[in-house]
Amino acid sequence: MTSSRRSVLKAGAAAAALTGIGAPHVARAQQKPPRQVRMVPHGDLNVLDPIWTTQNMAAYHGAMMYDTLFGIDANFNPQPQMVGKTDISADRKTYTFELRPGLKWHDGTDVTARDCVASIRRWQARDGAGQHLFERVADTPVVDAKTFRIVLKEPYGLLIDALAKTSTPLCVMMKAEIAATDPNTQITKHIGSGPFKFIESEYRPGSRVVYERNPDYVPRSEPASGIAGGKRVLLDKVIWDIIPDAQTAASALMAGEVDFFEVPPIDILPTLMAAPGMKTEVLSKLGNVGQVRLNHLHPPFNNLAARKAAQLAINQEDIQRAAVGNPNYYRTCGSHFTCGSAMGVEDGSEALMLKAPMAERQAKARELLKQSGYDGKPIVLLHATNIHVMNQTMLVVAQQLRQVGFNVQLASTDWGAVVTRRSNQNPPDQGGWNVFYTWSGGNATASPISLFAHAAIGKKAWFGWPENADIEKMRTEWAYAPNLEARKGVTSRINKTMMDYVHDVKTGQWVQPAVYRGDRIRGLLAVPEVVAWWNVERYA
Amino acid sequence: MLSYILRRLLGVIPVMVVVGVFVFSLLHLAPGDPAAIIAGDNATEANIARIRANLGLDRPLLEQFGKWTWATLQGDLGVSMFSNVPVTQLVQQRMGPTFSLAFTTMLVAVVIAITLGVLAAWKSGSLLDRAVMGLAVTGFSVPVFVVGYIMVYFIALQWRWLPVQGYTPMSEGLWPWLRHLILPSFALGLAYVALIARITRASMLEVLAEDYIRTASAKGVATLPMLLRHALKNAAVPIITVIGIGVALLISGVVITESVFNIPGIGRLVVDAISRRDYPIIQGVMIIFAAIYVLINLAVDISYSFLDPRIRYS
Repeated sequence: MTSSRRSVLKAGAAAAALTGIGAPHVARAQQKPPRQVRMVPHGDLNVLDPIWTTQNMAAYHGAMMYDTLFGIDANFNPQPQMVGKTDISADRKTYTFELRPGLKWHDGTDVTARDCVASIRRWQARDGAGQHLFERVADTPVVDAKTFRIVLKEPYGLLIDALAKTSTPLCVMMKAEIAATDPNTQITKHIGSGPFKFIESEYRPGSRVVYERNPDYVPRSEPASGIAGGKRVLLDKVIWDIIPDAQTAASALMAGEVDFFEVPPIDILPTLMAAPGMKTEVLSKLGNVGQVRLNHLHPPFNNLAARKAAQLAINQEDIQRAAVGNPNYYRTCGSHFTCGSAMGVEDGSEALMLKAPMAERQAKARELLKQSGYDGKPIVLLHATNIHVMNQTMLVVAQQLRQVGFNVQLASTDWGAVVTRRSNQNPPDQGGWNVFYTWSGGNATASPISLFAHAAIGKKAWFGWPENADIEKMRTEWAYAPNLEARKGVTSRINKTMMDYVHDVKTGQWVQPAVYRGDRIRGLLAVPEVVAWWNVERYA
Repeated sequence: MLSYILRRLLGVIPVMVVVGVFVFSLLHLAPGDPAAIIAGDNATEANIARIRANLGLDRPLLEQFGKWTWATLQGDLGVSMFSNVPVTQLVQQRMGPTFSLAFTTMLVAVVIAITLGVLAAWKSGSLLDRAVMGLAVTGFSVPVFVVGYIMVYFIALQWRWLPVQGYTPMSEGLWPWLRHLILPSFALGLAYVALIARITRASMLEVLAEDYIRTASAKGVATLPMLLRHALKNAAVPIITVIGIGVALLISGVVITESVFNIPGIGRLVVDAISRRDYPIIQGVMIIFAAIYVLINLAVDISYSFLDPRIRYS
């Protein structure tokens, strides 16, 4: 019987060998893994101009196909990228930049200083830090094909920091004729000089974005760090699969159809991590900072006591628990400038971070609201229901405000309608609003200058239109501070003033873990606010 | 018949005009500003205003409508405000997946539903009949995304028989195309199986009670030819009507299935465009949908005369 079974098995094996069954498995085992990764990003790339829009997906696209003059490293220090040599004059008013050799556009032509000057000029028109810088720029002469200067009217310590920033819009370099496009009009040609080439013929908005390795790219010799250092491309192809449904994206990752899922909902992380081969990592360490914007133009929040009442009513812990859920990924924070960053001081945040029981806080808030003369008129909260964190946060904020005596009216809609209505400066009953919620990247928030939302210039400020001359004076002082310690000192004063004035109400910080196939890819870099695909290797 | 078809085709024009006016007005009266969405969260109001001006959104509404109507009449549906890709190109890219899904879903639904409906009518009152009607109620009641997720969990994730998501065009091979459509077709088709099976059963029951069926049976016609040739053909008009409506609904209404199975079809194109107020895409697709609805209804009407010679159009 035993020998008979063996003979059947042998015969079967021989037949399989003859017919080729099993051969593909052998062949597959011997094949090298494809030098390709598939990523599910947080959104769709529907705009290809990283200057025209400040959407994060366009910044991701910019980092893939374009390059920057400087980049910040993993410790948030600016490092040269396309620039080979920087010379700063003794009076610190003239910066001379020489491009490193070997830089080529994707069409094979050389990157020139003229291209860089045109690109910087287009970028500054759309960037808060760029505008702040260019108010102090006297000229940007081209010296020769590889050298250009930025001449300042007065010394300004943030020039290189602004050029190196990773928050959107990145200061990416484009060909001069493309960069000549009006910054408020989208470019139509897509020629970069970055580590990957954008494959326009395979671009399917809402579905798929494809990049291929730029074989002409010459990386720097330093190791990759943040968005700086040597951008060594170890992949032939990177595909972004736009999968709007999180459950589908998670299933695709578990089935091995994609390799990287940027924003898995935190509640399905345990399921994902139970699958073999998965690895989770927080790539943007400073995460996101939430803020409730109060409309300073109209009652009740044109009154400081009413704003202070709202500040006391809002409890970060409750909001984060509802919006994020897992305490491993969120924290409360009393800084307007990102806890964990160099500027993350919490001076003056006693009211926001008050540890007293909620009942006590609410009693104080009610008292302040009474002092403000609030007449019980409904306050309009813009409530975007189609984005999970926004939906959850605003529901909790609404309840917290109700509990201290505000008559809350939720205007529930989608984010597309919120971004339109929030710009309306009319009173709430004429199409305006009183409260809305948003968040920004921790890296961008950490700078009093980079993030326009920090401005306090009244009707010309960001939505909410706070007006405070002291804050503005200190923001400028911060920009001129000679070193990090001096900047920290100024930041401490700005934070205290912003807290006392209740510029806006911070709702806490959270980080987003990404999940990827650790059994296939390695080498992902921690880059704030961008997903970088250089340095990443597909090994299985 | 020819004059009838021509008249119906001419009738498409006023329908298009009404749809055009309605869609344009609705979109521009609804809250939302594409310029604000394009500019992004960190943009200033001045930036938004300049983008709005460059897109022509600051022009009077009548002027915008006039420009759009004139361009549409010339076959130009415009370009996406966001991606700058022509709307016709975007629709072409998305038609393949949507038509493929609609075709395979209808194929699955028609084959299964008519078989079940005929059997249920033939064995009316039996356990089989009750089982089919039970399935029909279940098919109607369970949302497509629930069926989809369950199928994905078992068939794609646990057993690894089929892919979880995605779409491969037929140009890359019949099997790669089909294997991405099997799960979504069955998930989406369940509701249509229920609908068509119920209509088939009801229609067949009516026909099976007719005298000529009894006569045919008395003359010794075998069961299968009697059911298919005599009964089903005469019961076909309401079934075809439901199938026609189903096809039209499938082309425009498969957004949930497209999302669950990540199929880059028309439904997702429109939903994405609505969420960011990409007016040219929404307007263009609505016009195309309206034309498709009218043409499918026309095709259904014409098919009646082939199925029932008593129906004549003049």
